[in-house]
Amino acid sequence: MSVAVHFDAIRKDFGPVRVLHGVSFEIAPGRIYGLLGENGAGKSTLMKILSGYETATAGEMRIDGVPQVFGNSRQAEAAGIVLIHQEFNLAEHLTIAQNMYLGHEKRRGPFVDDVAMRKDAARYLAQVGLTISPDTRVRDLIVAEKQLVEIAKALSRNARLLIMDEPTATLTPGETARLFTLMTKLKDDGVTLLYISHKLDEVEHITDEIIVMRDGRFITREATANVTRQQMANLMVGRELSDMFPPRNPPAADAPVALKVSGLTVPGWASELDFEVHAGEILGFAGLVGAGRTESFEAIIGLRPRSAGQIEMLGRPVQLKSPRDAVRHGLTYLSEDRKGKGLHVNLPLADNLTLMTLERYAHPWLSLQAERAALRQAVAHFGIRTGDLDLRARMLSGGNQQKLALAKVLHPDPKVVVLDEPTRGVDVGAKRDIYFLIHQLAAQGRAVIVISSELIELIGLCHRVAVMRGGRLQTMLGMEQLNEEELIAHATGTH
Amino acid sequence: MQPAHTETGSTRPSLQRMLRHVSSLGPVLGLIVLCIAGTWLNPDFATLDNMMNVLTRTAFIGIIAVGMTFVIISGGIDLSVGSMAALIAGSMIFLMNKLVLAGTLSPLAIVLTGIALALLLGAAFGAIHGLLITKGRIEPFIVTLGTLGIFRAYLTYLADGGALTLDTALNDLYAPVYYASLLGIPVPIWVFLIVAALGTIILNRTAFGRHVQAIGSNEQVARYAAIRVDLVKIVTYMFLGLCVGIATVLYVPRLGSATPTTGILWELEAIAAVVVGGTALKGGEGRVIGTVIGAILLSVISNILNLTSIISVYLNAAVQGFVIIIVAFLQRSRH
Amino acid sequence: MKRFTQVLGAGVLALAFGAISGNAVAEKVTLGVSIPTATHGFTGGIVWWAGEAKKELEKKYPDLKVIIKTAGGAPEQANQLQDLVTVNKINALVIFPFESASLTQPVSQVKSKGVYVTVVDRGLTDTRAQDAYVAGDNTAFGKIPGEYIGKTLGGKGNVVALRGIPTTLDNERYEAFQTALKATPDVKILDAKYANWNRDDAFKVTQDFLTRFKHIDAIWAADDDMAVGVLKALDQAKRTDVKIVFGGAGAKGAIKTLMDGSDKRIQANVSYSPKFIYDAIKLTAEARLKGEALPAKTIIPSVLITKENAKQFYFPNSPF
Repeated sequence: MSVAVHFDAIRKDFGPVRVLHGVSFEIAPGRIYGLLGENGAGKSTLMKILSGYETATAGEMRIDGVPQVFGNSRQAEAAGIVLIHQEFNLAEHLTIAQNMYLGHEKRRGPFVDDVAMRKDAARYLAQVGLTISPDTRVRDLIVAEKQLVEIAKALSRNARLLIMDEPTATLTPGETARLFTLMTKLKDDGVTLLYISHKLDEVEHITDEIIVMRDGRFITREATANVTRQQMANLMVGRELSDMFPPRNPPAADAPVALKVSGLTVPGWASELDFEVHAGEILGFAGLVGAGRTESFEAIIGLRPRSAGQIEMLGRPVQLKSPRDAVRHGLTYLSEDRKGKGLHVNLPLADNLTLMTLERYAHPWLSLQAERAALRQAVAHFGIRTGDLDLRARMLSGGNQQKLALAKVLHPDPKVVVLDEPTRGVDVGAKRDIYFLIHQLAAQGRAVIVISSELIELIGLCHRVAVMRGGRLQTMLGMEQLNEEELIAHATGTH
Repeated sequence: MQPAHTETGSTRPSLQRMLRHVSSLGPVLGLIVLCIAGTWLNPDFATLDNMMNVLTRTAFIGIIAVGMTFVIISGGIDLSVGSMAALIAGSMIFLMNKLVLAGTLSPLAIVLTGIALALLLGAAFGAIHGLLITKGRIEPFIVTLGTLGIFRAYLTYLADGGALTLDTALNDLYAPVYYASLLGIPVPIWVFLIVAALGTIILNRTAFGRHVQAIGSNEQVARYAAIRVDLVKIVTYMFLGLCVGIATVLYVPRLGSATPTTGILWELEAIAAVVVGGTALKGGEGRVIGTVIGAILLSVISNILNLTSIISVYLNAAVQGFVIIIVAFLQRSRH
Repeated sequence: MKRFTQVLGAGVLALAFGAISGNAVAEKVTLGVSIPTATHGFTGGIVWWAGEAKKELEKKYPDLKVIIKTAGGAPEQANQLQDLVTVNKINALVIFPFESASLTQPVSQVKSKGVYVTVVDRGLTDTRAQDAYVAGDNTAFGKIPGEYIGKTLGGKGNVVALRGIPTTLDNERYEAFQTALKATPDVKILDAKYANWNRDDAFKVTQDFLTRFKHIDAIWAADDDMAVGVLKALDQAKRTDVKIVFGGAGAKGAIKTLMDGSDKRIQANVSYSPKFIYDAIKLTAEARLKGEALPAKTIIPSVLITKENAKQFYFPNSPF
């Protein structure tokens, strides 16, 4: 049986702040819904209420016509409602089977019945199309596999309504396609799916209906077939959104080579990599997860050992043994893993901003005023939305955290900046801000390298795109050669 | 750049900040409550002499705890400080007595040599810890658990299982370092204040201090942000070792001796002071001033217990345990 | 040449026989000694005196082998007992137990293997587990200072006391001290606090006693280590009301002070020397070499030490 949900004037207050202003709409069973809205629109809060992680301050939620209040996620699971978080809830050191039954272990007498759990886990893994032993430890899985494990786990709990928060944010196109096949199959089995995503092309492709929220309110609900992507984006931001990407001005013909890498080999990840990027140029890096893009750049800035290769900056060979050397030579790197490697989420904004060039503020005592002035300037320049300059970074929304992370790697005033997945988990508005910023950086004469899994982004943004596969550079595509088919063909080796 | 689009920042900054404020006052509140209780139980508690006694004896643990604050904020721990203090004290006395026998140096020079040795040994022991932890990639808990045993065993060996006692004449010369007062305040309190003030400034107003916090908050992020993580960690352990050296320099003239019980359980008292003072045991953030208050709070408890007989002597240790837990509870909402 | 070989052969034979017959006459004694590790002055003394006994006795009796094991806690001590029996094959044991209760069973296991057991200082809870018991006099340890303070103060005055670590041993001493003072009802015990037989803790506790009590006539420090802390605290507070500081156990430094008369607050001490481990080892070894048994209970008496008899309690080479 599928589940029908009816929200009636749901309100949610955090202290004095109201984040949901009486939201009402219903969800019919057995369909795929796209839930759209910018960061802070209230969609996550609403979904947390539905899945038992939060309770509404006022209003009523009816499941199959019966008013329900879930005190915790377990009660919601009992009603067949499961939320899959964007950051997975898996214990890295346990096996797949152990994770799937965590807190719901099957027992035989006083003992845990491992045999039965392994058998069942294998069945659910097969159902989601994952051919892997249930005894594999989760830490050995790639992101896409973890995603599938989460879905299998939900199925093992008899999920009838599945909420997926940005499930494709870290997936490659191929993996995304497989996930969509699975979603369609689940729908056919009678599962209702609520799909939260910023990727409007995917929403257009997979959903039956879209529900748009803005500023804690329900805005509209439409059959997906009746709206274009442009209209979706407009509905989300509440005004006309002009073109996402600024016009591209090619770098000057005589622009110097800002970074030249030759013969770079990173044991286990990349071999014989050659490329160069000019001042004022935006160079994209495409490839599947595991193609060695991130690892190559980590090796360039000295975070990983490299076994061969030369690096030249502005025509002079440089020795980069640590990120510190890289910063000193004018090369900085923005990690794809914002919370794990990019930002100190528990530290204040200013501390994050100035961390890479703290010497600039220490004479020898740190000048807190100067740091604060720098933060104020960065907040204005990068459009970081924060009411209070003393906040911890974790209190910013995803898009604003990303802007802060960008401000941080740009703070040392680098000549070459490497941006790894610069718009991951960021809403449409913030994305557009970031694209304009990247162009501005290029216009200032910096070389910008963008590593991205979003093909649209690479196509719309870059002057040239390098495609990597299996640790090797497959091809270098010029602006006029950039299209999705070409990129996918090179990335997957089906050219 | 185009105008930014709307994204709401934090939804409840004022509330959060208020809470942060109240909870950071936890140890201070605890200390005030204890002082009121102490005065009520025994009016002698509030006398200047008693205050000076308490602060003076807090100085050793307090100075060590300031160094420990850095190590804990950086995400490390040092269990060896008590044993380290004992070994440094023993080595100092051993060397000074030998120099007296040699008879070539003036007594003052001998005392100064002893002090130099203490500081040098502290920094050296800290450097060894730091190197084993960073380059040797051994957990700090294990490294310092190992040296905890090693340091104390060597002290016991130096002392032949008994006591190492400083030459009487030297002790008379050296005694003022513990017993003398400057402007009515005993020397150890001055040193404690100076170390605490330096610690505060280093932690909050230098690049090194900021790097320590960044490493403890998230070592990976720090590494990606071009911080020399290993070097910063080694320096935190050296700083702690130096603090232990300073504490020992103050400690030796008090009794003029080192025994195998010297500094026993100091590591736990120092760690308790740091944590009661509001530094997270898992690292990332903390305050030197909190540590100072934590250290004073702990010695005030035993002072009050000594000044009264309302609680069975068998339960004295329990009182300290209760206070630690209550103070920790008061500041639990910080995260 | 042939003759020479014969003589040599006879000599070798004689030597071999001699060795065998020697074994048959006097039984070889392998004596295990199990004591705490040196963690403070007193146990430091125990370790030193045990070492002295080993040196002296092994030199004197070629048939004696002494094996000393030190342990950091009761469980470790119990493990060492097993090793002594199975690995070192001891046939006599002198043990200074960490705790009475938890070591009774392990010791009785050793005895059941036919090992002769002498228990030192702390009696076991079941006396059947031991053959002999050698101990210092804990009652006298508390009684003598009680009587001395009562008498010296002329039957009137204020006393504070320091205690060691909560143990039965400490209780015995403190109770004896209280009982002795009952004879002089006007000598009041103001309070007693634990200072863990530790100089630093004694210093702190005394500081607080001095803050709390404006007039104190005598302090029973109950241990020479703790007396060091007490004296330092008195000097720091410049308190002259305290006329007597009574330590205990007769540590080297304390006896020296007494002999030299260098501190007028220290006029007496009570003996409780770690030397009793030496006595116990010596008594046990000599008795076993002769195949004899010790009396079931030997008490090494604690006596009042004053300037007059101090010399006989002074062992400059001992660390204690």
